[in-house]
Amino acid sequence: MVWAWFIVLLATLPGLWVADLLTDSLAGTNLVVFISGAAIVAPCRRLKRWQAVLFAACVGFLFEARRPIPLGTLPFLLAGLSIFLTSNRILLRNTPLVLRGAVLCNTLACTAWFTAAGLRAGAFAQGDLGDFTLQLLIQVGFAAAIALLVFVPLALIQDAAMDRTGLPPALESP
Amino acid sequence: MDKHRQGATASYVVLALCAVVWVVLPAAVHRFAQEAFAEFQAPALHLAGKARDLARFWELKSRDKEEILAASRDLARANAALELQLRRYEDIRKENVRLREMLRYNPPPEYLTVVARVAVRDSSTWWQRIVIRKGSDDGVRAGCPVIFSDRVIGKVAVAHHTTSEVDLITSPNFRCTGFLESDEQNRIVLITGAPGRGLASGRSRVTAIPQDYVYPVGNAPKVTTTGLGGVYPAGLILGHLEGGQRTTQDGNFRESSLTPTRDLFSLQEVTVLVPKYPTPGEILLEDQAQKRLDELR
Repeated sequence: MVWAWFIVLLATLPGLWVADLLTDSLAGTNLVVFISGAAIVAPCRRLKRWQAVLFAACVGFLFEARRPIPLGTLPFLLAGLSIFLTSNRILLRNTPLVLRGAVLCNTLACTAWFTAAGLRAGAFAQGDLGDFTLQLLIQVGFAAAIALLVFVPLALIQDAAMDRTGLPPALESP
Repeated sequence: MDKHRQGATASYVVLALCAVVWVVLPAAVHRFAQEAFAEFQAPALHLAGKARDLARFWELKSRDKEEILAASRDLARANAALELQLRRYEDIRKENVRLREMLRYNPPPEYLTVVARVAVRDSSTWWQRIVIRKGSDDGVRAGCPVIFSDRVIGKVAVAHHTTSEVDLITSPNFRCTGFLESDEQNRIVLITGAPGRGLASGRSRVTAIPQDYVYPVGNAPKVTTTGLGGVYPAGLILGHLEGGQRTTQDGNFRESSLTPTRDLFSLQEVTVLVPKYPTPGEILLEDQAQKRLDELR
């Protein structure tokens, strides 16, 4: 189905909004509840490559649209990751591997936007690399933990949406 | 298998080409894409803000009658005191008008006030923002000052149709000039947002504090806006200067931290000051845009 990627995107939106609300409630701590990286993994098991790329780019743009991050950083990175995942579906053949993929994707994407936003804010011009690294580690660690917690319910919703659109089931092996 | 691998390689090449094209594309296209995705999310932000209001409404509704009666009695007392104050202000206003007429003083450009509810808060090391439920449809423009009572909260960074993003004074993108309380020479200091450290929220830094500035005994001195630059009206409170001051590397000035007068992330409602006339910055940008257009022609 041509519009399957869009239906999966619509199914993912509530999850992204809940992440925004959690970020709101954690506003005093400087932590962003980031799940965009983890959100692309489950659809990459079943969507066609071009569909997965479109889906990943939209998820990236949705995160970037309201934040001062150099525009295009996250969408292109997520699109690249989605190409990699759809080309190596064997890496996502069972639940532990998918979970590992989600944590890795979320961490990588988080590192990318944090660094890009830091560059834009002039973090490196101030020369305080130690502080930057500490902040990066805190945010990336938090993103990894969030990916672990949130991935399963999010993937269940996405899988249900993909079942409805009649996409073929993902490759499964122990 | 080879075909599959070739397909993946071709996809990477196409993606790299798309990235290059994206970088080369004019800023207007980037802006359009950003606006489109921001507007797509706007209804959800409104919904989040309204849901919070509804939760507050039900919380208030579930309160005990006696508690409400006590609150209304306190409010009536506060109202009586405020009414007296209001009459005094009315007298002061009339006197102000009379004096201005005598001096033929041109009043500064006034601001329109737009009261807006806070939809969501968004904070990271590199930004400290709130999203408010008023946008360009309500007259809000990028660069408008955002206040709460007589305290500066921040500045509108981006105005969408029905929502706006506000950079708080603790955001690293924030810049402003200020006066220090009890500095009789009214020397200008610079206030900038600074990235938060660890899990602590963002803070503001006050730089260019003169070496001979005497820190007053007792309360922490207030830092107020200068009115220079045409963005913030003069006399608004930016925050309080913290005690620990450091001398800058060149030894000419001192710097310190600024404590905002309120917890910026507990705000429910803010006021946007929309200048009635274009600010100098807006005129400058308009001129530059016109020049670029002329050059292109």
